[in-house]
Amino acid sequence: MKLRPFRLTVLGLSLLIPAALCAVVLFLVLYSGQAIVFNGLRFLTQVNWNLGDLYDDPVVVHGIQVPAGANYGILVFIAGTLASSAIAIVIAVPLAVGASIFLAEIVPSKIRPALSMLVELIAVVPSVVFGLWGIAVLVPFIGHYLSPNGSGYGLLAASIVLALMITPIIASTLLDALLQVPRENRESAFALGATHFEVVMKAIMPMVRTTLIGGIVLALGRALGETMAVLMVSGGGLNILPTSLFSPISTISSFIASQLDSAETDPTNMSVRALAEIALVLFIITLSVNACAKLLSSGVLRVRKRA
Amino acid sequence: MPAPNFCPRGSYVSANALKSPRTALELRRIIIGRIGWCLCGLGLLLVIGPLIDIVAVVTWHGIAAFSPHLFTENTTGPNGGLANAIAGTFLITLFAMLIAIPLGVSAGIHLSEYGRGKLASATRFMSDTLTGTPSIVLGYFSYIVMIIGLGWGFSLAAASITIAILIVPYLARITELSLQQVPNTMREAAYALGAKDSTVVFKVVLPAASSGVLTGALLALAISVGETAPLIYTAGWSNYGWNGQFAHEPVAYLTYVIWTFIDQPDAKSHALAFAAAFLVMVVVLAINVGVRLTVRRKKLV
Amino acid sequence: MKMMNLLQAGAVALAVTAAAGITQARADAPLVETGSSLLYPLFNLWVPAYTASHPGADITTTSTGSGAGIAQAFKGLVNIGASDAYLSDTMAHDHTNMLSIPLAISSQAINYNLPGITHLKLSGPILAGIYSGKITQWNDPAIAAANPGVALPNHVIIPVHRTDGSGDTFIFTQYLSASDAAWRSTVRFGTSVSWPAVTGGIGANGNQGMVTAAQANPYSIAYIGVSFANQAAQAGLGQAKLLNKAGHYVLPTPATISAAAASVANSTPADERISMVFAPGVHAYPIVNYEYAIINTQQSSPDVAAAVRTFLTWAITEGNSMSFLKQVHFMPLPAAVVELSKAQIAKIQ
Repeated sequence: MKLRPFRLTVLGLSLLIPAALCAVVLFLVLYSGQAIVFNGLRFLTQVNWNLGDLYDDPVVVHGIQVPAGANYGILVFIAGTLASSAIAIVIAVPLAVGASIFLAEIVPSKIRPALSMLVELIAVVPSVVFGLWGIAVLVPFIGHYLSPNGSGYGLLAASIVLALMITPIIASTLLDALLQVPRENRESAFALGATHFEVVMKAIMPMVRTTLIGGIVLALGRALGETMAVLMVSGGGLNILPTSLFSPISTISSFIASQLDSAETDPTNMSVRALAEIALVLFIITLSVNACAKLLSSGVLRVRKRA
Repeated sequence: MPAPNFCPRGSYVSANALKSPRTALELRRIIIGRIGWCLCGLGLLLVIGPLIDIVAVVTWHGIAAFSPHLFTENTTGPNGGLANAIAGTFLITLFAMLIAIPLGVSAGIHLSEYGRGKLASATRFMSDTLTGTPSIVLGYFSYIVMIIGLGWGFSLAAASITIAILIVPYLARITELSLQQVPNTMREAAYALGAKDSTVVFKVVLPAASSGVLTGALLALAISVGETAPLIYTAGWSNYGWNGQFAHEPVAYLTYVIWTFIDQPDAKSHALAFAAAFLVMVVVLAINVGVRLTVRRKKLV
Repeated sequence: MKMMNLLQAGAVALAVTAAAGITQARADAPLVETGSSLLYPLFNLWVPAYTASHPGADITTTSTGSGAGIAQAFKGLVNIGASDAYLSDTMAHDHTNMLSIPLAISSQAINYNLPGITHLKLSGPILAGIYSGKITQWNDPAIAAANPGVALPNHVIIPVHRTDGSGDTFIFTQYLSASDAAWRSTVRFGTSVSWPAVTGGIGANGNQGMVTAAQANPYSIAYIGVSFANQAAQAGLGQAKLLNKAGHYVLPTPATISAAAASVANSTPADERISMVFAPGVHAYPIVNYEYAIINTQQSSPDVAAAVRTFLTWAITEGNSMSFLKQVHFMPLPAAVVELSKAQIAKIQ
């Protein structure tokens, strides 16, 4: 075969992307190795995150040097991450479905592009601006009107901010699918005497269900990894599982962002390695969610055959 | 009958529904429909409302804090202007783009023009995975590897590379998608004239897809201007402008001002945070609105 | 086509030129300070005054928490790590190049969001009870017993703690450890501790975040560095009288802070790592500390080392004048300690 320098060049450059990903994953696995050995499964099942007594001499446990009393349990952060993302999805899905149906069916096609652009624009507002809005508007509102103990920071604030951030992802995915439903489907449903709303609910929505689920999973991936906005409004709960909508929480990503500095004061470096392990857990969670989204959108796991 | 004055596609309304008297069942169906539409409309309001509120709140406080000295003075503690942060964000974005565009566009060219088989689909999958990787994980990676491991310290180089890693997959994907929309006949014609691979790509395919690639570049630009999490542990913060060094010299950036100064308990710092948020938001929204208005709405991402 | 290429090349060239254009001529030895949010307001007073009298000096100040100050000075990421906590024995012994140099004397207030109650009396065991979840209501008998005649609300307490590695956490938990046996044996002290599970307990970032969070949350309580006392007062927060070792309730005032400092001023060792928390003395305020600069003796170049030495020397001499310190409610270093600090500063190469 003829040597093709141009093709080889772009191939080489394109391979840098997988290389970067491999570097990140490899680094996380290698760097957290000692922490994985030290923590074992307790890492995922324990509530208590304790850097240990950094002002005492380190101790040696199973041949690994750690601060006295160190115990790394991340169940609180896993719970915070899953709970805030799940509530965000519960809020976002009805809003996104309603909004995209309204856009597709009711809004005149002349105004539709403008409104759908507005919806899509929400997705590009930087997360730190969402956080700013959360602190300036949402947290005082929740604290004043909803929260039983007067504190606005916590699970609900984080979930609402996340919901706002992911709604446009679901809505724009769904809107595109709704606009592509073949004319015949709706016409035959109308011919059977269905009202407009019934046509949408019974004839159109079932056809876009797979896309909708794909969009939801994609949005879930974004919510799980979101850092700044959550960090700013979540209240930074520690060592206690959330018990109500108003409980302060920490998510995995916000915890990494807020704790790296503290971890660096550990002379044994074990807590920095434990943070690498947390990052690895977060990576695995988002990877599996995104892989699900990919499988759904490529139709491998078709939930329901198209009519 | 569905609300007729509501319904742009209302040509479907069945005519005999108008004539015969309504049964209780029909009435129920109509009422359910009406309620349904109201809920859908409410959904749209609740989606767009917060966006408008965010823009309004940030603009209101941002404009109030606006003055020329924001652009001429450096930040001193939680006071002063934003000149250093504006310059820093500009530099981080610029160098991230200088790294990411050649890589991302090349990767897009490879995937679109020659990318068949297992290696290409693996590359695509890993590129998507990298897009989905939380940015704080990338920031953590860069901190341990570049800042500590390579000993660069908080630096422009580390910040730009981290942002570049973040946006390369977007660029690759958008480039691939827009190149694929160039008709094959154009390539065939060029090859038939004896053009080389590079000629075909640079003189025929890329120019034809330039608006798509440019769109991708602008969206990537918007992403890098608004990022915070991967910069906290790579860029650091500096009260001064850049002195031309890529390593061992922290840089300021706008999003830092937003998330740290809003915590300060005084009005001046809040004003700076809102001014920074306003700048970032205007840039990001302007790029996105501009792109969407000029490029006819194609689903690229 | 040519046009397009030209345009693209032009755009890149323009951007790069602009980048070159915004590079600023800078001092040969720019310094970066990070860490303690308690010291941050003072640094923001010092640096403009210092740069005014030392043209060409160039010092960046950031507030990241003492944990970050220690860690980043240690990793060589910053020149000056600001910390309310001294280095641990392990760190100091394993890394003799790392110095803890006192710059001033500071203290910490316990603030709370209870409108109408300006000076609640609190003690170490009460605070330990609140922060470990044993005391959950403001009208708890323990608080009521210390505050006869005060109408305490029947409302759940929201304790606020720092999420970043913090010297304020360090001195606060030192006070709790010194005065409460249960706290001493379980949580202990440090710049980051494992906060006991308290329903509704909130984490905040930096002293600034503590003030903001305490203000935003009625019925909260927070430990806040005294340099934020003015902001805390503006936010409507009360300031607690704390029980000292001699059994008196005292507020952080120049007199009570000096009384605590006097107790250890003459026993400060050469490496100056010493706690002033829960000091003896009838008038001593119980949460008083040295504010430290955490410095690596091996700086990147002789120029940088000289810049660090000049600045630190200025800070503990002219910088210790009350015109600066008064604004952040700090106290100057005793003369003997200034000499110790000077001896340590001389080690910076």
